Amino acid sequence: MNRLSDLLLEKPLPDALLRGLLFTSFTLHLLFVLLTLGTAILSVHYFIDSHCGGRPKELRFDNRILKTFMAHKSLAVVLGIAPLLLIQVGSTIPFFTAVNFFAPYWMLLVVFLIIAFLGFDALGHKIYVHRYLHFAVGVLALALLLVVPGIFAAILTAFENPGRWQAIMNGGYRLTGVLAVHWLFRYLHILGAAVVFGSGFHYFFIAADDTERKSLQTWFVAGILLQFILGILLYGLLPERPGYIITAFLLVGIVAAAILLWAVFSVVSKNRPFNIRLVLPLLLLVLVSMLLTRQFIQDRTLLPLQKRLEANAIAYGNELKPFERQTLDTYGASLKVVYDNGETIYSRSCSFCHGEKGDGKGLEAKRLTTPPEDISAIRTTRRYLHTILAGGVSGSAMPYFTVFDRYKLDRLIDYLDKKYSIVRVPEPLPVKISDALFQQAGKIYDETCSLCHGSDGRGSALSKGFQPQPPDFTVYSLSPERTFDVITNGYPGTTMSPFGSLTADVRWGLVKIVHEKRGQ
Amino acid sequence: MEFPVFQFSYLGSGMVIGLDAVLHVIISHGLAIGAVSFIVISEYLGLVKASRDWEAFARDFLKFTIIITTGIGAITGAGIWLITSALSPRGIGSMLRIFFWPWFSEWIVFTCEVIFILIYYFTWSRWVRERKLKHIYLGMMYVFLAICSAWLITGILGFMLTSDGWPWAKSFWPAFLNPSYLPQLLLRIGMAFSLGSLFSAVFLLFTRREGTFRIEALKLFGKAALISFSATAVFAWWYFSVVPSTFKTHAVFAVLTSRFSQQPEIFWYVNCAGAIMLFTFSLVSMRSASALAKILIIPALLVSIGFVGEFERIREFIRGPYLMPGYMYANQVLLDETPFFNKEGIVKNDPWLTMSPDNQGIAALGAGLFARNCSACHTIGGINDIAKKVDGRTVDGIFVILAHTHEMAPFMPPFSGTEDERRTLAGFLYGLSKGTVKEHTPSRFAPAHAHGGGTHE
Repeated sequence: MNRLSDLLLEKPLPDALLRGLLFTSFTLHLLFVLLTLGTAILSVHYFIDSHCGGRPKELRFDNRILKTFMAHKSLAVVLGIAPLLLIQVGSTIPFFTAVNFFAPYWMLLVVFLIIAFLGFDALGHKIYVHRYLHFAVGVLALALLLVVPGIFAAILTAFENPGRWQAIMNGGYRLTGVLAVHWLFRYLHILGAAVVFGSGFHYFFIAADDTERKSLQTWFVAGILLQFILGILLYGLLPERPGYIITAFLLVGIVAAAILLWAVFSVVSKNRPFNIRLVLPLLLLVLVSMLLTRQFIQDRTLLPLQKRLEANAIAYGNELKPFERQTLDTYGASLKVVYDNGETIYSRSCSFCHGEKGDGKGLEAKRLTTPPEDISAIRTTRRYLHTILAGGVSGSAMPYFTVFDRYKLDRLIDYLDKKYSIVRVPEPLPVKISDALFQQAGKIYDETCSLCHGSDGRGSALSKGFQPQPPDFTVYSLSPERTFDVITNGYPGTTMSPFGSLTADVRWGLVKIVHEKRGQ
Repeated sequence: MEFPVFQFSYLGSGMVIGLDAVLHVIISHGLAIGAVSFIVISEYLGLVKASRDWEAFARDFLKFTIIITTGIGAITGAGIWLITSALSPRGIGSMLRIFFWPWFSEWIVFTCEVIFILIYYFTWSRWVRERKLKHIYLGMMYVFLAICSAWLITGILGFMLTSDGWPWAKSFWPAFLNPSYLPQLLLRIGMAFSLGSLFSAVFLLFTRREGTFRIEALKLFGKAALISFSATAVFAWWYFSVVPSTFKTHAVFAVLTSRFSQQPEIFWYVNCAGAIMLFTFSLVSMRSASALAKILIIPALLVSIGFVGEFERIREFIRGPYLMPGYMYANQVLLDETPFFNKEGIVKNDPWLTMSPDNQGIAALGAGLFARNCSACHTIGGINDIAKKVDGRTVDGIFVILAHTHEMAPFMPPFSGTEDERRTLAGFLYGLSKGTVKEHTPSRFAPAHAHGGGTHE
């Protein structure tokens, strides 16, 4: 882990600016996330409260609440872009690592959000459905939406605890022990804040009468009380004593929250409505100071880590430096190579085995148990050659080249044929064979060779299981010399064994027999 | 090798990103730019013709569009980023650094865009009569911002194919204003209006009754479709003419894949048939044959979605071995790193692999090497299954092929690692093809059996 390094590309903006922008944009994003979640929770609650839509729809509170969902969620999504960008640039390694740990859930976010958003927006925008269906859609959308902050809370928990990465990895990519408890409290803390902000928003902007306001008051107060309890629990889980800055922000937040609670209780007891000019600034002050607390707790671990990662990145970059020139030259040259002609394709894709001269003596030939064929010795048909190129030779190193479309393979075949004239029947034998010898060879072919090659030269039933299979003599041959060579020495790595013990004349006879199968 | 690995089972990284991205393109181009433009035009026609039909059509279509764009469009757009964060962190992390400021500007533009469309939507019934024209300006402002979004994002997309001088100079502007930038931007706008006119026609034909309004509107959308299709075709031609031949030559294969690459005529037949289909639809609509148009519209929409998918597939595929040409290969190995790893070894330079429990078994090492070298494109047992790709090859054959992947198949990156590591990987792959290594897709390093953290560092 000490060897982890940052990315090699420099950061595009100064750290202080990055952290400032991150904090600001994250606060904005979170505000709308809380409103989105709060709106969703309250809308489902008030739908059930209205006897699942039993009351006239114009009067229904849940409907008016849900109408605001589209604006909240759209802003939550777009405002989330900046913090995501900034955190990925500023804390690249910790963030992507944490994402990676929870990758399946992280990617599911896309699916969950789409279903939840479509569900709520459909219900909120006059797409009236039967109330049971409305209930089912609402509950499903809410359930999926509530998973989302859970995933983010898990990622941030891993993100802030690089010391536990090894443990998370060994534990099967799950949060365990203290981290799991921390995650739970943190998750509930987000939901609590959502209830507070959601009920606050709808209290001031949507509620139309005292009944509705009273009801939201209860949510608001309960939410704040819950936040106090969860805050204390989270504080108890802090691994070390917080420094002065953290304590100061925390105190500001607690005092603001306490004043808020006191103010709320005092107006409730006098049966008066909340004053937005008091409640809103206090709420925002609590939000900002609590987020600052979070930020500074996180910085304690991550800032030193980031320094180390950057130092490692510089060291790593220096190790790579010697290769840079050569790499760029190779890259520049490769841009000029176009695989649209036979010559290029041959020299890049074939020659490392078959050799620049097509003699089967490429750079890698000696590493292969089945040697690459001497291309200049091949005598075959266009069609068969295409079959080999497109299908490869199973049981050998020869791969299939369907990575090139038919046009390209045709050009390759043209090139090979032009250079080595391989699309033809084999040339006549360089030696003369007497009829007696030819008949003797024929007997040997029938008794021995045909067991594998088949009496017709297309390969016997037995040979179908071979890896590689023998070639089809009716469409594929090698030059007389090369055929003679294969008969004499066998074909390494295949079932074809050497028959050098036969007299040379007989072997030439066999060459003739094999070649006569062409075109039959 | 800063990050651990996650491999998406069965579909593979590319397919997951691709599916999400195509869905996003259809909505962001077709609805967010295209359809909303036609909504604003319809609203304007409602005003100048004092037509309640045009006005009502625009309003209803907007409701549908805004639910889909803010619900699916925005999320799939962010989704491309979320998914690549999980599957290709080094690539996206590096791109974010080079293109930080366009990305950040995009955030501002996107936020304004959302604010404008929300105001446009929520003020529809309130800004009427003398304020109507102002309301229409709001819509135009939104469309302008949406095009600005495309303007910012296209620079980044173009870079991934034509990074031009960036690998040498590492300076921002040539990277952003790369050679394929302008043609791609125009092509995308052409696509937006093509899809937009088709979506408008679908909404029209399926929500409005037969009558003079439907005929009048269909004529307009048909004419718009004809112009947009023609413009898209011209810009597509321009775009492909600036793509370097070294990449472009793989375009046919990108579409046909190994499965159909030996019948390349299919590529031309299908594309011509698709184009004829689209032009037929636009001519039928202009001739006001609304019954026939209703039959043709769904196939036409599917064809246009197919074209979008084809374009994105080609663009993403032909950049082949590179994620960032001249800097990073598709498997997230830097170009500079390959010779370094070939000399020093990739395993010991991979903190995550060395950290993972059970990292010393041949299967675990092989799976680790596969993850780093191959898993950006290949899966084990799924799409582009590596076991099928190497099936039939001998182990020495695989060993040799691995050393030449980038030459043999020019859209593959080279293998990074020492000869010993290459032999380990060859053995692993051979075992996979023979079924002797029973590795179900190792989504991560060393499937954590929790052996108590056997790090070897």
